[in-house]
Amino acid sequence: MKEQEIRVELPLEILLFPLGALFALWVTLKLGRRFFLPREPVQRNMEPDWAIPTLDSQAGGHSFFHQWDPRIKLTALIFFMFCAASLHNLPWALAALLLSALSIPAARIHLHRPLSRLRAMVPFLAMFLVVMPLTVPQKGGDLIVTFSHLTFLQFNGRGFQLALLICVKASAIALLMEPMVATAPFPKTVQALARLKVPLMVCQMILLAHRYIFVFQHEAQRMRKGMRARGFRKRTSLETLRTLGNFLGMLLVRGFDRTTRVHEAMLARGYTGAFPQKIHFQARPGDWIKGLFWVAAGLGLLMADRWVEWPLFS
Amino acid sequence: MHISDGVLPTSVAVGTYAVSLALAAWSARRIHPEDLPKIAVVTSAFFVASLVHVPLGPTSVHLILSGLVGIMLGNSAFVSVALGIVLHSLLFQFGGITAIGANAFLAGVPALTAGWLFHSLKGGSLTRHVIVGALAGGWGVFLAVGLLSLLLISGGEDFFGVALIALYAHIPVVVIESAVCAFTVSFLYKVKPQLLGVSTSSKAAE
Repeated sequence: MKEQEIRVELPLEILLFPLGALFALWVTLKLGRRFFLPREPVQRNMEPDWAIPTLDSQAGGHSFFHQWDPRIKLTALIFFMFCAASLHNLPWALAALLLSALSIPAARIHLHRPLSRLRAMVPFLAMFLVVMPLTVPQKGGDLIVTFSHLTFLQFNGRGFQLALLICVKASAIALLMEPMVATAPFPKTVQALARLKVPLMVCQMILLAHRYIFVFQHEAQRMRKGMRARGFRKRTSLETLRTLGNFLGMLLVRGFDRTTRVHEAMLARGYTGAFPQKIHFQARPGDWIKGLFWVAAGLGLLMADRWVEWPLFS
Repeated sequence: MHISDGVLPTSVAVGTYAVSLALAAWSARRIHPEDLPKIAVVTSAFFVASLVHVPLGPTSVHLILSGLVGIMLGNSAFVSVALGIVLHSLLFQFGGITAIGANAFLAGVPALTAGWLFHSLKGGSLTRHVIVGALAGGWGVFLAVGLLSLLLISGGEDFFGVALIALYAHIPVVVIESAVCAFTVSFLYKVKPQLLGVSTSSKAAE
């Protein structure tokens, strides 16, 4: 027997409530940001702030994560992330999110960077939240909400739940990124990767690329300043595209030239394909216990996700 | 657009990791080991270039540049793109850490094919370079979005709608990217044709 969808029709006016709530949330966030995160005023008609963040500016602290052997930290946390990404049920995904959220105070790092990581995912995740409830195929047992006068918009509860699950999982993993990579100097993290049998050349390339991003960013900013001084303003026009094309071309010409010089300078200083490393790793029992905790947490969530039934979220 | 964590089924996430690793190893084999540090430094130039936002009406889009990377690096493009994706994920959370394989695949394969397309069709004249450059730039985005949709669909029929919307949303990006790519190729052809693999002698003979 085919199970019927559950259809609910609501008056259109009821939409005003979530819209009002969203507006209120937006206003609070706008005001809250002004009060809690004092930042330089945003100038109109300017490039958004794409300054590249420093990954390890808070590497000098003392916390659960700072005093953890990076080799075990990386392995255990990445394992946990894959477990979290494999969850199918909202309650357990929320549990993973809670654990990740708690790990930020445990790592004693500023909230600013984890929040900007969440912000970076907003456009992608918003697409799911908006599109999935409206496009998911209707199956038996789905909750379908329609609004009077707008009957062509069929809001599917299952689609919304699915999108929400994706958002929760993505946030849970994103929040764990800062405790994982920001709690040790970046070269140390990369060195830990090398000890975990990641090819040495890959590690070298990550370090080099990371280093030169900041150099080229500086170069690009200088060029942009020059362009603004000469009266260039970005518009939706072919002329803007032409100028940007030339800008990119110049950036790349300088980039390739600089690359050659950098490489020659490295060779002149005796570069033989490896940076000298003076980092020693020592795993204490405590490091293993921490690792065991996260691995157990990941496996536990995964098993609970598959075996425990939730009557409300079947 | 990068895929974030928790979207793809775990089997697909792990599978694309394996495919991307194989492709990266193949691509790295094409590079002289001594030149790998150079690819790393060039990657940072592309990384910064990809942060450039192009205004589009009330909003703005950022460049993807898979096509241009392919044009300028040829077979070594995959290594560069994969490295860029790793950095995007580590620094900005553009793309999740469990989806690095998928993102490298969907940006790297278009780069490789755009490079082949460009170098097999580019001919000798500036006009032809620019036209083929536009084609390769547009193709880079087009294929990337196509692969993005395919990967999303791997999650089941519930994802068809999202995949379709993602496809439509990128049509303007294809146009913009191909225009910018054409202008960049034209600039490079005049300023430093070696970077496009044009030998200086053939240009002198023109």
